[in-house]
Amino acid sequence: MKNKKGIINIVMFLLVAVFLISLISAEVSYCCEKTTYGAWCQNEDQEKCDSEFQKSATSCEATSYCRNGCCYNSQEGNCMSNTPQRVCNQEGGVWSADNTCDIPQCELGCCLIGKQAAFVTQTRCKRLSNLYGLSIDFRTDIGSELSCVLSATSDVEGACVFIKEFEKTCRRTTQKECNELKAKEGEDAEVDFYEGHLCSDEELGTNCAPSDKTTCVEGDDAVFYIDTCGNIANVYDASKYEDKNYWAEIKDVSESCNYGTDGNPNSRTCGNCDYLLGTTCKEYDRSKDAGAPNYGDNICRDLGCKYEGQSYDHGESFCVVFAQGKLTIAEDENKNTEEKNLPGSRHFRLLCYNNEIIVEPCADFRQEICLQDESNGFLVSACRVNRWQECIQQDNKDDCENENQRDCEWIGGDKCAPKYSPGFDFWAEGSGGDICKGADKDCKMVYEKRIGGDYTCEENCDCDDESWKRKKNEECNSLGDCGMKENYLGHEGYYDMGDLYEKGDIEEPDDEGGGGLLGGLF
Amino acid sequence: MFMEKRGQITIFIILAIVIVALGILLYMFYPEIKSSLGFEDQNPNIFIQNCLQDKIQETVDILTPQGGSLDPEFYYTYQDDKIEYLCYTNEYYKLCSVQRPLLKEHIEKEITKEIQDDVKECFDELESSFRGKGYQVDLNRGVFYVELLPKRIVSTFDYTLSLKKGDDAQVYEQFSIAMNNNLYELVAIATSILDTESTIGDTEITTYMNYYTDLKVEKNKQSEGTTIYKLTDLNTGDIFQFASRSIAWPPGY
Repeated sequence: MKNKKGIINIVMFLLVAVFLISLISAEVSYCCEKTTYGAWCQNEDQEKCDSEFQKSATSCEATSYCRNGCCYNSQEGNCMSNTPQRVCNQEGGVWSADNTCDIPQCELGCCLIGKQAAFVTQTRCKRLSNLYGLSIDFRTDIGSELSCVLSATSDVEGACVFIKEFEKTCRRTTQKECNELKAKEGEDAEVDFYEGHLCSDEELGTNCAPSDKTTCVEGDDAVFYIDTCGNIANVYDASKYEDKNYWAEIKDVSESCNYGTDGNPNSRTCGNCDYLLGTTCKEYDRSKDAGAPNYGDNICRDLGCKYEGQSYDHGESFCVVFAQGKLTIAEDENKNTEEKNLPGSRHFRLLCYNNEIIVEPCADFRQEICLQDESNGFLVSACRVNRWQECIQQDNKDDCENENQRDCEWIGGDKCAPKYSPGFDFWAEGSGGDICKGADKDCKMVYEKRIGGDYTCEENCDCDDESWKRKKNEECNSLGDCGMKENYLGHEGYYDMGDLYEKGDIEEPDDEGGGGLLGGLF
Repeated sequence: MFMEKRGQITIFIILAIVIVALGILLYMFYPEIKSSLGFEDQNPNIFIQNCLQDKIQETVDILTPQGGSLDPEFYYTYQDDKIEYLCYTNEYYKLCSVQRPLLKEHIEKEITKEIQDDVKECFDELESSFRGKGYQVDLNRGVFYVELLPKRIVSTFDYTLSLKKGDDAQVYEQFSIAMNNNLYELVAIATSILDTESTIGDTEITTYMNYYTDLKVEKNKQSEGTTIYKLTDLNTGDIFQFASRSIAWPPGY
């Protein structure tokens, strides 16, 4: 009998244990080497792990197969951090446990290649050399990308004069290229290099002469003259067309017309374009450019844009709000307006590049906000994280409005609320409800019973006023998609004031004092 | 009499115009006319190029808006495109894990795999074409591979073709198809964006557009945290599009 009781106890214990284990395992996140939906190395519920791959009841970072590290591409010389070991090995990379890629293979240096520079690994530098057929100089003493780019210098160019088909002709080359041409033609060939000279230099006596033709050059912003042999000459400057000196020596872009001013948009006479100033060399197009150039077919095209009747420079970016079904420029972009906080609304950033407005939505549910600034009339904007989460915990104005910490504002003299109220996916259960409760307010109105049986309000008498209700609704709105408000398309919400305001029961006092009525917004 | 003379002159002028027009047409389309009429034996390399280039272009056109895969396994559907995630985390507040660390090599493999049947068919056709013209043909089929290179996509076939007709013998040791395409440059930029997505969680697109003058970068954040990147070469119209989910923010938290 005693044994039977013991067995029942053990069975009961096992059943409870199995139940508890199943409960725990249901909550534990698994590291799936591959999920059923095809993603590699994700922390997921057990049932979402692909059964043909490994899984463990732990975080992926704790596993050997899905630990993130550095994946090195030995062929291209690239390094990619945050790559799971399994993924890297499968794709043919070499994996290292150092997730910061602080390994010798990934050490960066300055790769000087031709006229250009790239801050890359040594293997990548060699690869670039192979791809472009140029000799390289890999400098480990240059430690930043900026100094690397600035250190790029081009070889000195000049006029390479030679005889072709009994005629003295010329090609604009570097000294090295000219030497190669000489080696190809043979030691006896008449090939001479004139550093810094243009082929159209009369003193060289070649068949290359100035022309009224211009061209755009890949990698350069400016419009260049070309000579009758097709060699690139100096930057297009109509006033120098007949200037023999201008056709004799190579001039730097910085020595050419209107350098560093405004990029010479639509200029008929100067082709010193500058992409960063908003112009670049393009073939003249009557529909796009203001006026034809005096010589040649190319012009500095203005890359600016127009949006809602306003002009923007190339490279400018600005914030807009989505209101009444379209993107609209707000009067004061950084001012918090109601339309920026409506349910369904979102912040947008517009960018002007190459005559085109590019729309970039910030994160939905106003988890990102668009901020704009101006420098010498040039607009710059960015989508950045909305730091609203700590607002309702702040109990004083200074902490509340500390812009270094959070995006909040002090409202009603006693409450800290998000400056840009967040959106909620209200259709998902539990989302936002707790936050909206922060605006709940009980207001006890006290009435006094007069002789004759009439009640007159003595305390908190405005709690029943429409203005009090509207004010409380505004406080409620500021916390997020709470309370009564229209959405971003102007459609009414499904709450009205009656849904939000509830009158409580009348409490009769024991003594002869006034009675109370509980009112409040939910 | 005078009218007859005028009529003759008109006929001569019309004839002259027709002859000149025919001459111009012949000049412009001479190689094509010649080969289509079978006046000459086509160069085997050109034969293979003509046979395969449409297929390669078609393959590239399919995979570039889909993140570099012909049949993406794990993707985000955006404007009817299945866009593969190249970096992904299913969690909130976390950096993504790279899903395609060697993107360029992956695309090369995808193209190679997709064209292999067509490669076989084209070389079969090449063989039978020359046999039909009375050649003794010996084709040694080696390996072939596709490479993304600066401004071009190159397919190389290490095949040896020996042709013999009477005393005339020719040997072609390698076949190569080069197509103008800026996919190499776009993939390099995509790789750089992937690196910032996996280390910072977001990418400032103006950096790329300031540096590369003919590049357009579009970034479209979706409600659940996915970001779609679309890179466009403004000169050629070549595009590359991919998805990433990194540092996603849940609504209301």
